[in-house]
Parts: sequence; C-alpha cells; structure tokens
Amino acid sequence: MEVLWAVGQVGAVWMAVVLGLIMLPSALGISLGISEAYMWVLVKTLEWATIRLQKGAKKPEPQLPRTPTANGIIERDETPMEKEIALLHRADFEFSHIFYFCRKGFEAIVEDEVTQRFSSEELLSWNLLTRTNVNFHYISLRLTVVWVIGVVVRYCFLLPLRFTLAAIGITSMIVGTTVVGQLPNGSVKNYLSEVVHLTCSRILVRALSGTIHYHNKENRPQKGGICVANHTSPIDAIILTNDGCYAMVGQVHGGLMGIIQRATVKACPHVWFERSEMKDRHLVTKRLREHVADKSKLPILIFPEGTCINNTSVMMFKKGSFEIGGTIYPVAIKYDPQFGDAFWNSSKYNIVSYLLRIMTSWAIVCNVWYLPPMVRKEDEDAVQFANRVRSAIACQGGLTELPWDGGLKRAKVKDTFKEEQQKNYSKMLVRNGSVG
Amino acid sequence: RGVSQGSPPVTSLLSLAVTSEQIEHLHRRFKQLSQDQLTIRKENFDSIPDLEFNPIRGKIVHAFFDKRNLRQESDGLAEEINFEDFLTIMSYFRPIEMNMDEEQLDRFRKEKLKFLFHMYDSDHDGKITLQEYRNVVEELLSGNPHLEKESARSIADGAMMEAASICVGQMGPDQVYEGITFEDFLKMWQGIDIETKMHVRFLNVDTIAHCY
Repeated sequence: MEVLWAVGQVGAVWMAVVLGLIMLPSALGISLGISEAYMWVLVKTLEWATIRLQKGAKKPEPQLPRTPTANGIIERDETPMEKEIALLHRADFEFSHIFYFCRKGFEAIVEDEVTQRFSSEELLSWNLLTRTNVNFHYISLRLTVVWVIGVVVRYCFLLPLRFTLAAIGITSMIVGTTVVGQLPNGSVKNYLSEVVHLTCSRILVRALSGTIHYHNKENRPQKGGICVANHTSPIDAIILTNDGCYAMVGQVHGGLMGIIQRATVKACPHVWFERSEMKDRHLVTKRLREHVADKSKLPILIFPEGTCINNTSVMMFKKGSFEIGGTIYPVAIKYDPQFGDAFWNSSKYNIVSYLLRIMTSWAIVCNVWYLPPMVRKEDEDAVQFANRVRSAIACQGGLTELPWDGGLKRAKVKDTFKEEQQKNYSKMLVRNGSVG
Repeated sequence: RGVSQGSPPVTSLLSLAVTSEQIEHLHRRFKQLSQDQLTIRKENFDSIPDLEFNPIRGKIVHAFFDKRNLRQESDGLAEEINFEDFLTIMSYFRPIEMNMDEEQLDRFRKEKLKFLFHMYDSDHDGKITLQEYRNVVEELLSGNPHLEKESARSIADGAMMEAASICVGQMGPDQVYEGITFEDFLKMWQGIDIETKMHVRFLNVDTIAHCY
C-alpha cells in the first residue's frame, strides 16, 4: 500500500516537473534559460581546451601557403583552361595540352570536390569529441581527463535526459495531433494544430540541445508558398518547424516515422506520398500544385538537393520543385560544426546510430536565414530559376556552389556532363586555328 | 612489402617536402579510393567524378599501374598497387623546393619528363611513334562530333614534323623519322619551364597539434 502511495507521489512530482519545465514553456514559446547557461559553460570549456592544445603544438613551418578555412588539402590553380593553354602555347598544338589535363587529373585523384562534400567537414581545432578528430594524439593528462569527464557527462547525463525529452516530444506529437484530428475542420482546428506542432517541435529541439538563431524573420514563408532550403540532416525539418508551421512533403515510411506521419496528417494537411506515387512526377507535381493553389494551406517545405550534403556547399537543385509555380521562399541553414556535426552520412551511418551521435554531441548550433521571396521570371526555365535560388541560398549561408548532382553520392557522372566538357575543349582548339 | 592498415609507411622516397600530415591525408584518400582495402585497382578510379571530365583519363589511370613509373625493374602493367606505389606516383608531382641545387633540379625535371614520356609511349619501346602520338591527340579531342578523325591526324602529323625538325634537323627525302626517343623529348623541352606546370601543391592545414 505504502509502495503504491510512494510511486504515486513520485509520479505526481514527475508530471509536475514535465509540465512546468518542459511543456508549458514550449507551448508558450518562452525559455527558462537552462539551455543558455549550458551553452555558456560549454563554450568556456572548449576555449580552455583549445588553448591547452595550442600550447602543446609545434611551431608550424612558415613557407607553405596557409588557409584559414580549409575546404581542401591542395592548392588549386583556378586559371581557366583557355588561359592556361594559351600560356603554354608554342606552336599550334603541342604536348602542352597534356600538361593541363595531367595536372587536373592528379588534382582530382588527390582530392575531388564532390566526394569531399559527402564526408564531414574537418574542424580546425578540436572540440573534445574524438569523432571529429581523425588525428587524435595523446596530448596531456589534463586534457585527457577533461575528455573523459566529457564522455561521462555526454553519455550518462545528457543522453538519458535528451532521450526522455525526445520521447516526451514524440509522444505528445502523436497524441496531440490525433486528438486535434478528431475536431471538425475549421479555424479552431488549424489554430490548435499549429500549437501542437510548435510545442512538440520546441521540445524536440531542446532534446537536441539546439540553439538556433533566426535572421530576417520578416521574410518568413507565407501561406500558399513553397519553402526551399539546403539539406544537411533529417533534423533540418525540426529546425524550421521550430519557428513556424509548414506542410511537410515526403514519402510514407513504416515504423515509428509512419505512425507520426499518419497522426500528423489528420491535424494538418501534410503531403505524404506512397512510394509508387513518388515515381510518377506528374502526379507529384499535380498534388503539390493543388496544395499551393489553396491559399489557406500552410506553405510546403521542400529540400531540392534530394540528399544530405555536408553543409559546406550547395549542390544542384532538382528542378521539379521549381516547376510547381507559386512563390518560393528560400531559406539558408548553416550549422556550426564546433559543437556537433549534424551531417548525416547515410552511406556510413544508419538513422539510429546517427540519432545517437546527435544526442551525444555537445549541442546543435545553427543559423537560419530567411531570404526574400522569389518568383520565376517570364523568360526563365525551371533549371535557371533553380540555379538562381541556389545562388541566393549559397551566398547567404556562406556555402560554395557546386554544379554537381547530389545523386553522385551513389551514382556515376552522367555522360552528358562529360560530353559538355570535351566539346568545350575541342571548340577552343578550333577557335585557335589549330585545325585545317 | 605489406602496408599495415593503421599507420601509413614513411619510405625513403619521402624525404621529399611531404610532411607526415600530407602523407596522412594521402593515406586517407587512398583508403577512400580503395574502400578500405590494401590495394587499388583500375576500377577504383571510376569513383572520382572530377576525373570523368578528363579526356586523357585512361592514360592517367594507366600511368599509376605502369611498372616503369613504379620504378620496378620489369616492364608491363601491374594489376594492383599498394599505398607505397601510390605515393611513388604522387611523387612525380611534387613541387620544387627553394633549396634545391642545379643537379637536383635537373634530376627533378628529368623525372617529370620521363613520366610524361611514358604516357605517350604506350607500347613501352622507348620511342614515341607517329601512331602513338596520333592516339594521344585523338583521345584529347574525343567526344567532339564536329572534329573528324582527319583533323586529329593532321594535328598529330604537323606536330611530329616539328619534333623531327628540332631533333634531327633537315631530313633527306629517303629518311624516315622513327620516333621521338627520350633524348629527343628532352631536347624539345629545353628552355621551357615545366616544373612549375606539373605539380600539385599541398596547403598547410593545422588540423590538430601533435605532441612531441
């Protein structure tokens, strides 16, 4: 009897804590300052660790060229092909051309721009996570002790806490949206659905110790529009829904994800496609067009790269999203790799181990910029429009633009690309009068 | 001559200005290309998108497996190469250092030109014949439907004639120019600064401090 009473007490306290510290602040959108305090302590510790590291460092050699943010390991000569071959020209056509291609070939073998983007960015200083430090060497006893303490804190303290928060978040999302879904369609339902989505998003962001800075909130996506963003990880969606409500677009999954999808679609008109439907591009475009045409529906959220990139560059946008019409609201998301690597390398980790890594990182810190809305011009086709949007996003987020397809993660270069390059080269030769 | 999976070897070759950091970078790259195996085969080079663009891709990949470049006594092609061989080939592209003397510079230059010579001389007979040169030009111009084979041929023929005039001087009507030997090849490149065109320079990235 007493045991039951004790359990009841504990249960009541637990409920009070959950409601008071988690649910209410999330629902109202206010912060208790716990996350901020945590981040402050974290930053101080990492600064200390970096100073210790630099003290133990050897003096670097002065003659080799340096670069502050290295996205590559070799110095690339950016001279365009024509100029370089012109410099080497002695007669009409000589061995000179081979130099150029030889060197380019070797540069590609040592390091190619594309494959680089599919592995995590290298940090310039260590953030006490061995996973980001490939060259881990023993440096000092004190540092190792701090690292061990870090491991204990992360795995034994933060991980269970975050896991609990995430569980609470997901459960409330499923329960909340199912309940709201029972209501008849109307403004009450929409309002409540927004509240539920926002609250659960906030709880989930807290579960990841996320610190997000939103810039230019006046450009936030409006109803009837399409929100377009660069893709780094599955939590991109949560980052964005933390600040506004969107209609998600995606494939129907099984398991827990499927349950969430089925529950949320009752409350809010998300667009979930069956796998077979995804293959039919016209069907997809038609459904999305219908959604966008209805101005009372929430803006849809699309990631046109199609796959996760490592957040140092923006790859080619698939033109499908840009053929739907309507206003495009571009959003740039840039993670700060200092506190935790958010990139999901799907060929290396599956979703569960990825989530585990995220939850045992220090924090997820990122910046989100809302860019002014863009509309397709009269004389632009979908591809050009897609590139224009991509440039805007890359420019704002400080990411480089690559003309490559995210699909290269798994597939080979299309022959059309190769032929383009070869055509360029031959055209140049003909122009220089080498032929005939 | 095995290479342990964990740490890369530092062979005598690498008394170059390649730091241990750069070797580690290259080793990581090697592991990426070989998909964590100990050796690389020709097929592994297919996974490099940037290389697809290159018209002489075939010759470059071939150069990695060419036993003459691997400094082995025998001739022909190796089936697969390990990390040490990979570094051997990469060493052809190291940049010149400030403190090299005349003799070193000269040796340096010869090495790079020899590498290039091997690329042209596909049948390994020590001479670049007209046909071999034509092959290279055709490869460089491949893929353009507007350029016919005849154009490629005339380019190659013109270049060979110029090479002949440099190397052999005036030829009689009965003389046949066999092919460009390595000495002729060196003559052609006299006075032209190729060392700065044929190298790949590493950036100094301070990724992590080492404690010594």
